[in-house]
Amino acid sequence: MRLALLRIGSLLISLAGASVVVFVVLRLLPGDAAGATLGVGTTTDQLDQLRSELGTDQPVVTQYVQWLGQVVRGDLGTSFVSRLPVADLITQKLPITVPLSVAAFVLAVLVSVPLGVIAAVHRHGPVGVAVSAVSQLGVAVPVFWVGVLLVLVFALRLGVLPAGGFPRTGWEDPAAAVRALVLPVVTVAIAMSAVMVRYVRSATLDVLDQDYLRTARALGYGRWHALARHGLRNAAVPVVAILGIELATSLLGAVVIENVFALPGLGTLLLDSVTSRDLPVVQALVLLLTAVVLVTNTLVDLGQRAIDPRLRLAKEVAA
Amino acid sequence: MSTRRSRRAPLGAALAVVAALALAACGSGSGSGGSTADAGTPDASAEIVIGSTNEPTGLVRNVGGSSGVSQTMTRNVFEGLTSVDVDGQVVPTLAESWDVSDDGLTYTFHLQPDVTFHDGTPLTADDVVWSISEAIGPESKSARKSDLLVIQQATAVDDSTVELDLSRPSQGLTFYLASVTIVKDGDTELTSDNGTGPYRFVEWVQGDHLTIERYDGYWGEPAKNAGVTFRFFQDTTALNNALLTGDLDLVIAEDSPDQLVQFQDNPDFTITEGTSTTKQLWAFNDREAPFSDVRVRQALYKAIDREAILSAVWDGYGQVIGSMVPPTDPWFVDQADVHAYDPDAAEALLAEAGVSDLEISVDYIPDDTTEAILALLTKNLAAVGVTLTPNPIDDATWYQKVYTDHDFQTTLMGHVNPRDVLWYANPDFYWGYDNPQVQEWVTQADEAATEAEQVDLLTQVNETIGEEAASAWLYLDPQIRVARADVTGFPVDQVTESFYVADIVRES
Repeated sequence: MRLALLRIGSLLISLAGASVVVFVVLRLLPGDAAGATLGVGTTTDQLDQLRSELGTDQPVVTQYVQWLGQVVRGDLGTSFVSRLPVADLITQKLPITVPLSVAAFVLAVLVSVPLGVIAAVHRHGPVGVAVSAVSQLGVAVPVFWVGVLLVLVFALRLGVLPAGGFPRTGWEDPAAAVRALVLPVVTVAIAMSAVMVRYVRSATLDVLDQDYLRTARALGYGRWHALARHGLRNAAVPVVAILGIELATSLLGAVVIENVFALPGLGTLLLDSVTSRDLPVVQALVLLLTAVVLVTNTLVDLGQRAIDPRLRLAKEVAA
Repeated sequence: MSTRRSRRAPLGAALAVVAALALAACGSGSGSGGSTADAGTPDASAEIVIGSTNEPTGLVRNVGGSSGVSQTMTRNVFEGLTSVDVDGQVVPTLAESWDVSDDGLTYTFHLQPDVTFHDGTPLTADDVVWSISEAIGPESKSARKSDLLVIQQATAVDDSTVELDLSRPSQGLTFYLASVTIVKDGDTELTSDNGTGPYRFVEWVQGDHLTIERYDGYWGEPAKNAGVTFRFFQDTTALNNALLTGDLDLVIAEDSPDQLVQFQDNPDFTITEGTSTTKQLWAFNDREAPFSDVRVRQALYKAIDREAILSAVWDGYGQVIGSMVPPTDPWFVDQADVHAYDPDAAEALLAEAGVSDLEISVDYIPDDTTEAILALLTKNLAAVGVTLTPNPIDDATWYQKVYTDHDFQTTLMGHVNPRDVLWYANPDFYWGYDNPQVQEWVTQADEAATEAEQVDLLTQVNETIGEEAASAWLYLDPQIRVARADVTGFPVDQVTESFYVADIVRES
């Protein structure tokens, strides 16, 4: 109970810290939304007037307090540029980015965990070497390049999947929505799998070298049986940490991929809003992403302790 | 309003070539000049999907800023008393006709009968008065506000007549009025969508698309298609892929010839090359030394091999220009050779001005095209002993640093608007060109009794700024569009701010 409160407290402090950093950094950047909105041809008076309407002529502290007050009341504010409610802009994009990230993550886990274990067990055999080599390649190749290649083959050459975009009606036509997401999901999953395979492999290798596994083998267990029975649980602890990081980065990685596939998701929105200094949107998005990362970290922590009783014991003693 | 935000992911050009090679489409090409003609059986129920990289930043009317809202909404959803048609001519629209008093101070507009807004209410003179008053009112952030301030008062004479009283005669009035879109009296909604155009607004999903559908109660000739969706892309490769896979009917503007390779020699697509009003400028801060010295500006201009730049960027498309005026403006004179490439003359002029070891910083918003221009500029200027220091910045920084604060030496920028030569008459404009004679000519031109006189005076302005190298105008962008072969009726040139879509048809 105490631990949970501590957790929530530190989560809120981290969020507040992130909001201050984002707020200050964005306002230190040159350029303002008024200029980017009005553009060439407008007068200084018109610019000043818009700045005053947006409140960007106020001291940073005043702006921050006003904004924080709004957020606490559950109001994310209005976009400087489009004048649309920030909450609407974000909820509009979630049905694309969330399925994309989650599906890519799940696919990556399904692929990388078995592959990583196989690569470790057959580390000197051709299969293990091949898996390692391919994952090296996957890490080295930029994710957008993978996306472009997939488009080239499956959309332009074979014509079996769309090259990008999302149905205008959203998920009303689930089949069309899924088809639109297949290539982006596979692209992100490939990039994530490449990283994860290496971690799973090395975590499994560590375990394979442990005395208890050698003992199990000595007791007559087969290699796989020994690993399954005694090894995987131990190997899972570091892997879960990596999965947590990867789940969070899968959201952030969407920036690049949404661009390649012309998907109107959070990544596109973030990129666009930074360029036009649409601060309310950027702030809300950064806050959201920070929250996701923090919550994921907490889940990872809980997950690790569920897997490894020693961690539970250690933390309880420490607390 | 005047600069086009063009963003391109760095993967653009090379990947497009790879894509083209991999696709290796076959067949023979079909290019067409002029306006694309209707052919086959037009399908009046077709929905046309248009790809664009120029998304509106917002739907607020009478706000400067991106050209995206004018491109999609003006003439299609909202109309003015006048319009600028696809040839750049001012034509009557919601005003059926107008009379001008002898002293040029009173304009009486007679409204088109039977005009209704999309909500069904008829257009009245009050709506017009309201809309014009909003555009020139204290709250207006229209980039054309200063041009419209000549309007002293707008009055509804009767239900179908509007009178505008001017503080002085204005030859440009009917042109500027085209940018004032008419909405219902009292309509201040930020995303007000109740216009009188051939289309009604359906939805805008930011970052993705904007949809309009044919308005059946339209007073004029109805749209030839059932509706149009503009789909917005940040990445030109994604844009062209969508066209290749049949998700788009038409791409408004191709940004570089690299992207065209995959459509050339492919019978499924038509490529059109028209003219644009997008001038690529290397603008100097004329108020500061050494750019305040006309000889230095001329020297820098002469040091640039513009033909080489154009061919590197556009591979034979586009046109070298010598001033801010494109051939489609009435006061165009060809000045491409006034400061033709002559590095020796450039060095001599620099010596005469007493300038040596010049180092110049260039602020620019990076994309493939600008990087290419900068590379060649740097080489050209190094040859005459001038060192360029590139300073890449983003859109919002450009507006503050260069446009608002005038804190720059030189900048590379594309200017989209027609008739924007007039900015050289504003010494407070970002480039700070200050020539009292030019300012006087511009004032006289707007007050001129006849259009011929106006054209005469502005031609002098044009020649003077060209001669004095107020900026270095590198070239005029071509307007290249690619369409599916069965799609016709779109304007080939882009000489106005709007992209009129009502004539676009797809064969069934």
